[in-house]
Amino acid sequence: METEISGMDNPAMTLDEVSMERNKSFVKALQELKNLRPQLYSAADYCEKSYLHSEQKQMVLDNLKDYTVKALVNAVDHLGTVASKLTDLFDHQNSDISTMEMRASCVSQQLLTCRTYIDKEGLRQQQLLAVIPLHHKHYILPNSVNKRVHFSPLRRTDTRQNHYQAISRLQPSDAPASKSLSWHLGSETKSTLKGTSTVAPSSKDSKAFSKTSGVFHLLGDDENIANKKPLAGSQVSGVPAASTAHKDLEVPKLLTAHRSLDNNPRREIIQAPVRTKSVLSAFFVKQKTPKLKAGYVS
Amino acid sequence: MAKAGGITNAVNVGIAVQADWENREFISHISLNVRRLFEFLVQFESTTKSKLASLNEKLDLLERRLEMLEVQVSTATANPSLFAT
Repeated sequence: METEISGMDNPAMTLDEVSMERNKSFVKALQELKNLRPQLYSAADYCEKSYLHSEQKQMVLDNLKDYTVKALVNAVDHLGTVASKLTDLFDHQNSDISTMEMRASCVSQQLLTCRTYIDKEGLRQQQLLAVIPLHHKHYILPNSVNKRVHFSPLRRTDTRQNHYQAISRLQPSDAPASKSLSWHLGSETKSTLKGTSTVAPSSKDSKAFSKTSGVFHLLGDDENIANKKPLAGSQVSGVPAASTAHKDLEVPKLLTAHRSLDNNPRREIIQAPVRTKSVLSAFFVKQKTPKLKAGYVS
Repeated sequence: MAKAGGITNAVNVGIAVQADWENREFISHISLNVRRLFEFLVQFESTTKSKLASLNEKLDLLERRLEMLEVQVSTATANPSLFAT
């Protein structure tokens, strides 16, 4: 028994070897229990014959009692050993089955994950076919904005945007850089164009449009002048200094006016005349561009 | 003499009866222990049968599950285009 226990506790043995060792020990104990029965039968026959043929029956009877007790204890011991080994074997079989179930669950989970990945991949490929036209529309959109950007002076007083507008007016319209510039402008002015398109002038706003158009016409002209002023002042040398100083004083007022208009909750109604201002300012731009070009050339 | 022989016989009968009772007591103890052993064997048989049935059920379930997994894996490996992304 000690050699079996030391053999099963050896860590160098693999799982199959340990299981085989347990099976061997159980079979061995069961065989010993099976061999106990003929031994008991033979001992019973010997005791019976000796009791019948011996003259010292009391002594034979005492020996028979002792042997019976020892045989019973031995049988109980063998039965206990066999039962213990069988229970141990059952426990290890249950453990092995649990391990196998866990591995099967792992394989099943891997299959499920693989199937989910395949489904997602197929869905993504199908969604790509539907997404491509959306990208195509996205790249067409700045070209439509490009025309409006050239003819719509925006009310924004951002110096960077004024710089872009000045560059777009100075550069020829068919230049290759104008596309990228218009794309940037389109991406920047997209939000403002959306605001103006949502607030298209209706018949109800026509009166307000007629009332406010004059005011914003002047503002737009002043703004155009203010926007063009640094360019003209920096590149044209024949401009009087007094008029430039007077216009420099007007520019902050206009800026404050625009800021107050931006903060006005009725901004949507006021933004509608910007398109008429842009048309008129486009005429002014056409009239003034030769001067600017002449000044830029000089 | 007759009285003495009668007393001796009575003593011998008493000793024999006492020995007989001791033997009967021993046999009853042995039979009781054998009966307990038999009860243990019956209980162990039922417990072992129940454990064997449970183990057999688990093995059947695991065998079916492994067969299903084997079929699924063979189906997945038979179509390698599904994994090619």
